Amino acid sequence: ESCGHITISVPIIRLGDPVTASCTISPTCSKLAQEPQILWRLQDGPNQPGDSQRHLGDGSQESTITLPHVNHTKAFLSCLVPWANSFQVLDQAELQAGYPPASPSNLSCLMNLTTNSLVCQWEPGPETYLPTNFTLKSFRSRTDCRYQEDSILDCVPEDRQSTCSIARKHLLLYQNMVLWVQAENVLGTSESPKLCLDPMDVVKLEPPVLQALDISPGLVPRQPGCLWLSWKPWKPGEFIEQECELRYQPQLRGTNWTLVSHLPSSEDQFKLCGLHQAPVYTLQIRCIRSPLPGLWSSWSPGLQLRPT
Amino acid sequence: PPSLPWPRSFLLKSLEQVRKIQTRNSELLEQLCATYKLCHPEELVLLGHSLGIPKAPLSHCSSQALQLTKCLHQLHSGLFLYGGLLQALAGISPEVAPTLDMLQLDVANFATTIWQQMETLGVAPTAQPTQSTLPTFTSAFQRRAGGVLAASHLQSFLETAHCALNHWV
Repeated sequence: ESCGHITISVPIIRLGDPVTASCTISPTCSKLAQEPQILWRLQDGPNQPGDSQRHLGDGSQESTITLPHVNHTKAFLSCLVPWANSFQVLDQAELQAGYPPASPSNLSCLMNLTTNSLVCQWEPGPETYLPTNFTLKSFRSRTDCRYQEDSILDCVPEDRQSTCSIARKHLLLYQNMVLWVQAENVLGTSESPKLCLDPMDVVKLEPPVLQALDISPGLVPRQPGCLWLSWKPWKPGEFIEQECELRYQPQLRGTNWTLVSHLPSSEDQFKLCGLHQAPVYTLQIRCIRSPLPGLWSSWSPGLQLRPT
Repeated sequence: PPSLPWPRSFLLKSLEQVRKIQTRNSELLEQLCATYKLCHPEELVLLGHSLGIPKAPLSHCSSQALQLTKCLHQLHSGLFLYGGLLQALAGISPEVAPTLDMLQLDVANFATTIWQQMETLGVAPTAQPTQSTLPTFTSAFQRRAGGVLAASHLQSFLETAHCALNHWV
């Protein structure tokens, strides 16, 4: 049976808040002086007496202390008594302090057609200094996302990750769903704003592969300042009707891109003319789902070509 | 094309879903061909009759005999039937299972799109359809052959659906 025991009002508190602790020395602790002065030490700070010390009915002694502002996220509070020319630590309690989670923000999602999963990411918000769990929650809905239909299994991200993937079997494509992030620790819970989307409207498209065509002069007379190109849509997205745009720029200092819009997603032979013959040109293409809503793919890697 | 009471977004989404399923279904047929050398559905017609692999009608969706509500019902019933057939093929083989799983999800999702459109138009049947009796396969070969037949029937069903939907966009 140990001589002293600490009890704390609340072991985990908000940074900067006060905390009250009491240390009780049992009467059976024979090795101690009759009425020892109970002292307190926070981390490796000075030993200090409590705010008050009193007898309890059963003969034990109790000291109480209030720390007005806890500004350690983790600290050890010890209860001591003088002993010979030194002190004895009778008990130690761990104090934890932090913040309730702020609302996660910037929730965004992309439908990955390679893994067939909806990948969402968010900003977790400022550090809480406490173990905080994030959960991506969602439910199926109808057009305007006002009413909840079936709820979908919570998506729990891997440790300390601010991203989560919802597997294809939980998704109802071509229907709207509502998503949000919940953050929770011992000091509170918060939620991000809700997102209403159809996974197919946030498909992450990859750009086509842009290729130069080698047209033999026999077939088509050489035209100065022209290039022949072809491209094919990215295979996993080929069922999606898309519109593309091509940009090109001579590799000369200070020149801008020129854009050719409203191109089809697949082209076997595309002639681009009006180019200067001398310099090498860099060409790139990107596509977007159209006329249905979608997101632009990234630009394809630059293709370097010299016009005829 | 004649104007239609169906919103253009429904038609465009449906066309995209048809293409998505067709792409996936072709993958399934290619895998069944590569893995089991069952590459010609026309060689399995006799077996198809004995197994009772059904074909879903789309007679009300052709431009000549178009009946909107019945066309939607046939689309939904057909997707429901093929969804059930694909389920009966579960366990066909590890190589094909991933494609089959995705195909089932895509078919089920398209059926939901059609059902919700019927609800929006107020022409949805009072209850979801119940699955008719599905073929039972007594051998691995029957299951694989059934898979080829079901997938090829689904492919022609989708072809008809694509033509019908495309006609109205």
